[in-house]
Amino acid sequence: MHLSLLIGLVVFSILAVLLQDLLKAAISLAAASIFLAIVFFRMNAAYAGVFELSVVAGLITVLFITAIALTRSEDPLREGKFHRLLFPLFFLALVVIDVLVMKSLLGRIPALTSPEAGTFGEVLWKERSFDLIGQIGVIFAGVLAVLALFRPSGKSSQGDKHE
Amino acid sequence: MIFLFIIIPLLLASLMPLLGKISKRFLPDLLANATMLFLLVFSVIYAKPLIAKGGVIQQAFWFGAPINIRLLVDGFSLFMLFTISLVSLAVTVYSINYMEHYGAKANYYALLLLMIAGMNGLVLSSDLFSIYMFLEVAAVASYALVAFGLGQDELEASFKYLMLSAVASAFILLSIAILFGLTGGVGFGAVAAGLKTLNVKFAVGFCSALFIMGFGLKAAIVPFHSWLPDAHPSAPAPISAMLSGVLIKVSGVYAMMRIFLNVFGLTPALTTVLSVLGIVSIFVGALAALGQNDIKRMLAYSSISQVGYVVLGFAIGTPLGVLGGLFHLFNHALFKSLLFLNAGAVEQSTGTRSLDKMGGLAKRMPLTAATSAIGSLSIAGVPPLNGFWSKLLIIIALVQAKMVVLAFLAVLGSVITLWYYLVLQRNAFFGKLNENWKAVKEAPFWMSASTVLLALLCIATGLLFPLVIKSWLQPATDILSGGVGVALNFLGF
Repeated sequence: MHLSLLIGLVVFSILAVLLQDLLKAAISLAAASIFLAIVFFRMNAAYAGVFELSVVAGLITVLFITAIALTRSEDPLREGKFHRLLFPLFFLALVVIDVLVMKSLLGRIPALTSPEAGTFGEVLWKERSFDLIGQIGVIFAGVLAVLALFRPSGKSSQGDKHE
Repeated sequence: MIFLFIIIPLLLASLMPLLGKISKRFLPDLLANATMLFLLVFSVIYAKPLIAKGGVIQQAFWFGAPINIRLLVDGFSLFMLFTISLVSLAVTVYSINYMEHYGAKANYYALLLLMIAGMNGLVLSSDLFSIYMFLEVAAVASYALVAFGLGQDELEASFKYLMLSAVASAFILLSIAILFGLTGGVGFGAVAAGLKTLNVKFAVGFCSALFIMGFGLKAAIVPFHSWLPDAHPSAPAPISAMLSGVLIKVSGVYAMMRIFLNVFGLTPALTTVLSVLGIVSIFVGALAALGQNDIKRMLAYSSISQVGYVVLGFAIGTPLGVLGGLFHLFNHALFKSLLFLNAGAVEQSTGTRSLDKMGGLAKRMPLTAATSAIGSLSIAGVPPLNGFWSKLLIIIALVQAKMVVLAFLAVLGSVITLWYYLVLQRNAFFGKLNENWKAVKEAPFWMSASTVLLALLCIATGLLFPLVIKSWLQPATDILSGGVGVALNFLGF
């Protein structure tokens, strides 16, 4: 595994959080996702790589950029000093915990056992059928949410009296 | 067959938008209510006998052919299914009248049914990843339902809820990923067995912390509660009842307790952390509720406080503590739904949620006032109503476990609860009738029917509590107090 890929992934992820310009942040996220997709490909997880590239780097970036294009920029929102300090502190704490967890896991992690092994299709359709139903439910909930939230009118005047 | 609990609401939800084209109100009302009534009866008549000899793993069939879906039916999951179905039925009955002025009723029922399918799927899951999947189904439907009124407040509350909930989901997923990496499986049995052979205390501690943050945020225990006081009051009243009544318990408390008690095993450290979070929730929720003027916001803060009791009960870990936690979970589902539905009736009649502007409504809305009084007294723990028994069990369990200080604090929290519910009752229903409300009428038939049903259940559960404990709570307590052994013995398929 090339260390440079992982470094690229982390650097662009941090940029996505820290950049004030939303457009640049969205593009950084896409770049981070491309690095992650390459990592997936190199680890023989081709399906994960394809999904990462097409959904996160592709679709989600398009959605973000469309949404940013639809909004108008007003006065930039200034974050307080406390908030600016918070992210690096949180990030450092997480890195420390990550190192400790990984150190305690090294050499202990067992090879994946048979129930979860198999080709992508077999695992998805045969082993994880129940999750597919959940997946259908999530997509369906999303569709219904769009239908409900973009309907012509909300509650009628009766409910609005108090506002 | 138990698969029907997931598939019926899911299928009906997919048909709802089409049915809405044929009939705007009648068919959606009828089918949603019929489904919930069926699931409630089904959980008693079909599912209850299934667990007569302990839990079972049921293979699902699709048109006669077995499919690789194995659902977990034991005392705990069945108890949750029953609670979900009961509250859902009350909510759908209430929605017949209440949701009239919102429009898009078919869409509303479709989202509600999806939320129910998600919760049912979650409690029937026998592995961690399925829990996550169905958690998301219920969550995505609930974001849309919170914003269903489309007002500024609703949209803002829903967005806040969505953002914080996404953080919670990320924590949960990260923890599941670490456990999968550690044990090579995600099934309850596989994870429990894997953790038993590995000596990875630090990693398990980290996963526990992630689960506490993730599921704690879903359950709105302090300090992860900030989304709830916005989201629950903004939703339409039946959805507030659903969210406070069951969703926070299923996606937060159920998932957390199933994992901590049956998969990880409760450790003294977990007991300490959870009981401290529980007590802090009780006080922060109660004191914040005391200062509220918006009736639904007061009830929302009260939910945080009461979930604190539930978590506290489970955290003790003794059979009596678990029993108290489960009983309070069930009771809170009943009376908090009742109170939110009543608040909705008051809001619909008067157009305000502000307690200052109400007053004397008991004269105009006697049924709502009476049921609200029963709900308030129950939640405050006044004997012989149901809330009294569950709080008593938790307090006795605390004393038995030598946590006397916590027991004292729990009693104190209950006193504050009584205080703010008396304030609510006095400001809204008692005293002189406010001139503005001379023309106010009692809530329509189905709304009143639903609240009366819940109030009667509060009284019945209080009077017949030994029966409730024996038939529904004891099997669930046995599963939870069985600890990791349960997962190892019958989930390690």
